Amino acid sequence: MGLKLMKTLWDLFIAFFRASNFSFGGGPAMIPLIQEEVVKKYKWVDNEQFADLLAITNSLPAPIGTKMAGMIGYRVKGWLGALVAIVGVFLPTSLIVIFLGSLIMNYAESPALQSMLKGVRPVVAVLLAQTAIQMGKKAFSDNITWIFGAVSLAVLLLLPWIHPAFLVIASMLLGYLLFKKK
Amino acid sequence: MDLWNLFVAFFRASNLGFGGGPAIIPLIQAEAVDHYKWMTNAEFTDALAVANALPGPIATKIATYIGYQVASWPGVLVALAATVVPTVIILVFLGNLLMKYANSEALKSMLKGVRPIVTALLAVVAYQMGVAAFDIHVPLDFFTVVIAAGAAGAIYFFKTHPALLIVASMFIGYIVF
Repeated sequence: MGLKLMKTLWDLFIAFFRASNFSFGGGPAMIPLIQEEVVKKYKWVDNEQFADLLAITNSLPAPIGTKMAGMIGYRVKGWLGALVAIVGVFLPTSLIVIFLGSLIMNYAESPALQSMLKGVRPVVAVLLAQTAIQMGKKAFSDNITWIFGAVSLAVLLLLPWIHPAFLVIASMLLGYLLFKKK
Repeated sequence: MDLWNLFVAFFRASNLGFGGGPAIIPLIQAEAVDHYKWMTNAEFTDALAVANALPGPIATKIATYIGYQVASWPGVLVALAATVVPTVIILVFLGNLLMKYANSEALKSMLKGVRPIVTALLAVVAYQMGVAAFDIHVPLDFFTVVIAAGAAGAIYFFKTHPALLIVASMFIGYIVF
């Protein structure tokens, strides 16, 4: 394997390893950290591409973290890149779960760990809010997009039985009808 | 047979769960506890507690745990593959299509329509995490507010790396809570 290829694969592994292993609260909590790695640090995609990739990720089922890893890994270095990025997401914690699972179970309810997780939660909320604001700057470019945002927010909060995937698909159709240049 | 059951269980749970790992948990519970009876509800709750105590996506940690319990290493591999592989393959093709037609007017107009919705989705996740964090009791917990405000300030003024904020907040949490 060429040195350059090794370097790129290593970067992919490290980027998703870091994003995964510093995020508490599951896949969605990973989104701001993935953005930090792939947009700001390694510049594999720009902010707008990141938002678009996130959009199609959200329209399909399965965990967010591994889906983003697979898609961005593939963009950077094909199937091998996808594999390395996904392994970076789950391998370290999977090994911990297998080898230390019973040990952690003893500590899972411990006051020390609970207090640490309590400290982390507001930061996760702030990080997600900040990513949302950043995306909003690009997303809300005119009055119609503001209306889209307001309506979808209302639907998400007030009509939770309406599936998000439905909103994603409906908004793409509406966007096609409203924004396509004649 | 166990391996095939593991594959089916995690394939179904993952591919019917929209909204990332946390949305998949109840579906995994239905498969592992109710359908295949690999574990009791209490055992599942314990597994979930371990998964929540560790970083990274929840669904892959649970898949590893249950896969290992049921069929050792091959079980881990099968459960993880069933969770991850099918959607990633579809997404790679969708992503390619997206980039290939990035300059087409049709796709641009569709993406313009969908971006506000992705923003709203993320805002709702942030809001839900916020509700969990602040426990929405009046008066709000003083230190939780301080940590949130400190994190917001650090991002805005110093562009602090998120990982650093997370480690720092765990440390502060340990001290003050």
